[in-house]
Amino acid sequence: MSKKTDSSDSIILRDHTYDGIEEYDQKLPNWWLFTLYITMVWFVFAWVAYYQLPIDIPDDFEKLEGQIAVIEEKKQAELNKMMASINDESLMEMSTDTSHTAAGQAIFETKCAACHGLDLSATMAGVALPGVSLTDEEWLYGNKPLDIMKIVTNGSPDVTKGMIAWSSQLSGSEIAQVVAYILRKQSS
Amino acid sequence: MTSDSGTSRKVTIEFDDKITRWFMIASIGWSVVAMLVGALIAFQLNFWQMNGKFLEWITFGLFQSEGVEYLTFGRLRPLHTNAAIFAFVGNMMFCGVYYSTQRLCKTRMFSDMLSKIHFWGWQLIIVFAAVTLPAGLTRGKEYAELIWPINIMVAVIWLVFGANFFLTLKIRREKSLYVALWFYIATIITVTMLYVVNHLQIPTSLTHSYPVFAGVQDALVQWWYGHNAVAFFLTTPILGIMYYFLPKACGRPVYSYRLSIVHFWSLVFIYIWAGPHHLLNTALPKWLQVLGMFFSLMLWAPSWGGMLNGLLTLRGAWDKLRTDPVIKFFVASITFYGMSTFEGPLLSIRSVSALAHYTDWIVGHVHSGTLGWNGFMAAAMFYWMAPKLWGKPLWSKSLANMHFWIGLVGILLYVASLWFAGIIQGLMLNETDPTGTRLVNEFVQTVDKIQLLMLTRAIGGTLYLIGFVLLVVNIWKTAKSGSPVNETREVFEEIDSDKDKMTWKAAFQNDPIALTFWGLFFGILWFFLPPGASHMALLCTLGFSAYAVYRFKQNSEGWSKWYDQLSENYLPFSVLVLIAAALGGIIQIVPTITVNRAVNIEDRLQSVYTPLELAGRDVYISEGCYNCHSQMIRTLVPDVLRYGDYSRLGESIYDHPFQWGSKRTGPDLAREGGMRGDSWHYLHMLDPRSINQQSRMPNYPWLFTKKTDFKSLPGKIAVQQRLGVPFPIMTPEEIEQHAREQALEIAQGLVDEEVKIVPEKGVDEPGSPAEARDHLAGKQIIALIAYLQKLGSYEDVVPKDADPIEPRIFKPGIPDKLRMNEDSEEEVTDSEEGATTPVAQNP
Repeated sequence: MSKKTDSSDSIILRDHTYDGIEEYDQKLPNWWLFTLYITMVWFVFAWVAYYQLPIDIPDDFEKLEGQIAVIEEKKQAELNKMMASINDESLMEMSTDTSHTAAGQAIFETKCAACHGLDLSATMAGVALPGVSLTDEEWLYGNKPLDIMKIVTNGSPDVTKGMIAWSSQLSGSEIAQVVAYILRKQSS
Repeated sequence: MTSDSGTSRKVTIEFDDKITRWFMIASIGWSVVAMLVGALIAFQLNFWQMNGKFLEWITFGLFQSEGVEYLTFGRLRPLHTNAAIFAFVGNMMFCGVYYSTQRLCKTRMFSDMLSKIHFWGWQLIIVFAAVTLPAGLTRGKEYAELIWPINIMVAVIWLVFGANFFLTLKIRREKSLYVALWFYIATIITVTMLYVVNHLQIPTSLTHSYPVFAGVQDALVQWWYGHNAVAFFLTTPILGIMYYFLPKACGRPVYSYRLSIVHFWSLVFIYIWAGPHHLLNTALPKWLQVLGMFFSLMLWAPSWGGMLNGLLTLRGAWDKLRTDPVIKFFVASITFYGMSTFEGPLLSIRSVSALAHYTDWIVGHVHSGTLGWNGFMAAAMFYWMAPKLWGKPLWSKSLANMHFWIGLVGILLYVASLWFAGIIQGLMLNETDPTGTRLVNEFVQTVDKIQLLMLTRAIGGTLYLIGFVLLVVNIWKTAKSGSPVNETREVFEEIDSDKDKMTWKAAFQNDPIALTFWGLFFGILWFFLPPGASHMALLCTLGFSAYAVYRFKQNSEGWSKWYDQLSENYLPFSVLVLIAAALGGIIQIVPTITVNRAVNIEDRLQSVYTPLELAGRDVYISEGCYNCHSQMIRTLVPDVLRYGDYSRLGESIYDHPFQWGSKRTGPDLAREGGMRGDSWHYLHMLDPRSINQQSRMPNYPWLFTKKTDFKSLPGKIAVQQRLGVPFPIMTPEEIEQHAREQALEIAQGLVDEEVKIVPEKGVDEPGSPAEARDHLAGKQIIALIAYLQKLGSYEDVVPKDADPIEPRIFKPGIPDKLRMNEDSEEEVTDSEEGATTPVAQNP
């Protein structure tokens, strides 16, 4: 294969042209080659380390389940502590404390208002929302403050016709604040 | 013919430039359509009213609607992607291929008739797509949404194109194939393979079918296709176009022939393996995720090889950058190629993907490819070609310059705003309170936060569109000022050329092929063999690699001679391309199809849908819900905290097609079932803002008046049964009755809750509750609610007693199994003692 050289330096210019297009035949840039090689070598090392050496790298499921178990435990401990420290009287007391009810209101408006309405009436602009009204006297699952606390925490027995368990999204003290807010609205 | 070699005769050829002109006009026309739809759906993400209610405003209330089904994001987004990929870039690619192939082969296309069939067939396909997709006729798989009759048309027309192209290669007067042609060959061969496999399906009616793959298999096949549609439809043909038109336009030699060789072959071989990077941290088996990630990283250099060969070709011609808009477009295009092929590997790293996947970062990434790389390349090519095709200089250079700057500002706004939007949303979704046990932000809050950025993106996209409108004007004026020119050229034809004379033996029996073969053979064994054997296989691969280097050093002349000869023989060349491109897919897909059948599912098996739920699922697919909602809770703490327990491989194993999704404009729905009441869904579908004022979801009023298609259910279930979904045996009557009964039950529940009934046009509002129930039961909304309430339900699989995976040499084992097997004795006791409590159970 004959090649001729460019006059300016020693770069090879191939003698074949395609529709007038010429081609140099320059060496591959070193940094480019190294990039290619490094990614390949890295792949081999990573695969061997993960799959073929007895190194204890946890797989995704183990790792995730471990992390989640820790979180669940924390949540449960906090909830238990809250439940143990709270009773009907203390909840009623909280409902008179504006720092608690204000926090409760903020939570209510982001999480609860979608179904129970901003004014707790379970309607919006006259249209019925999915939740039950919290402004009337009727309570499906008990009317004591602790009963309300429990239904919010654990959700309704049949979730397709009722509410989810909020303990997955709210801490015990947050649930207490929401309940305090509802109690305040009830009493007003 | 004389036997004297070396003698030649003069031939006069008239190139078929008419077909080039047609494809160019088609591409330009469709580009405006694709981008208009794109701009509309971008604005829909800011203003829900853009899903149809805006028609009330522009008709001054003459047209009353809360939402138009043909205009929702879910239906128009597939139209936008299909139009951009297949109509705009497709026609542009054909334009470039027809123009350059004739000149590189020194011959007119093999058959004008085939060219014409190709052109009109392709436009017909696009028109069909533009009608069917807004009508909700879809297969529910991204970039593969078109229904089966259109799939067949695509396949046929593509084969017409392929035949025409390869027969042109066969009659070429230029012995050796230029690098642009290599890329065209790779395009035609690989797209055929990808398209056929991902469109295997069984029809249930003229407009509906179910893909043969389901769940994880479908996901794997889909993204093997989806990723490589990007590779072999949006990248390789465009690289070929770059290799022809760039040196032509700047009048400089291509930077490096050997870089062309190395980056071509590594690109074709590696690209195909990278598909699983669309499924990182999902239920996809880990070894596939690992392969997907690392092959994506290895793809970085081959991609940049193309960029280097483009940019460095411009050495000595940079002065033209200031004066010639064509060169400006080339430089910007290649730079965007470099940027997005750097971003791609970055996003393929599992931890980066954990943040970026499902966010707008990905959307920005693909647009820097399509708008930056493809769109600017198209503009460069069109501005360069138009004067040649119509025999008059470009009507206005300064208008072309203006197009460039408007387009560049547009794309930069677009990409930058989506970087910010994606990262901000990703971080907000992951944000927890100080205890680390609860997420801080509701999903809708994160959507709300990025509104300004989304608006910036819509404006950026619109600017880009305006740039293309300038191109339309410029090309139109140029064409009008001139008249169509078909180039005629005298070429010398070699008599008794030795092109295509290489024997198969000479092509395949040599050092480069043999050493590559053995290196790859052992490399693949290395993935699959049990420990010990795998180490040996790896050593063999390394040994062969070292030996290959040694042999090459010894005989590099021989190797280049072989390659030069190969490029004078289009058939062996094409066969090698096919092998290189097919390998990755075979290795990744075959084990999952053969091994991971439902019987091998470890802990959970999806509950089979009831007939009504299946009908609801078809509504879900038809409305394109997957364009905004995923059904895949990744193995990541924030995902689990937000949506519940992570999705298992078995939980979607019966889903034809899978609906894991690729973007979360709304929250994940994998465990939506049982999360909320039926009336919540009812109200939410009717008016999402009645539940959540910040929601951007369209209203779906038509689901409340359109009837569920009960009659087609027996046929659909029969097809699903054929595909292996264990539906209980029922007669067609039983199926319909079962569906109707379930619908009545749901409707009764809703009527009891006194939901608002939407009357059909021209029919009185139902009076009694019983009438209301009967009215509701037949509507699509009920089927959809049934489906949504089913999502996430599964059965526990009783683990089979000690059925360890035996390492079998000739059956592909799965690396993940082998890994677990290795330290199984310790692991088993470990996990039993520390029994992790299952979390966020959802019955």
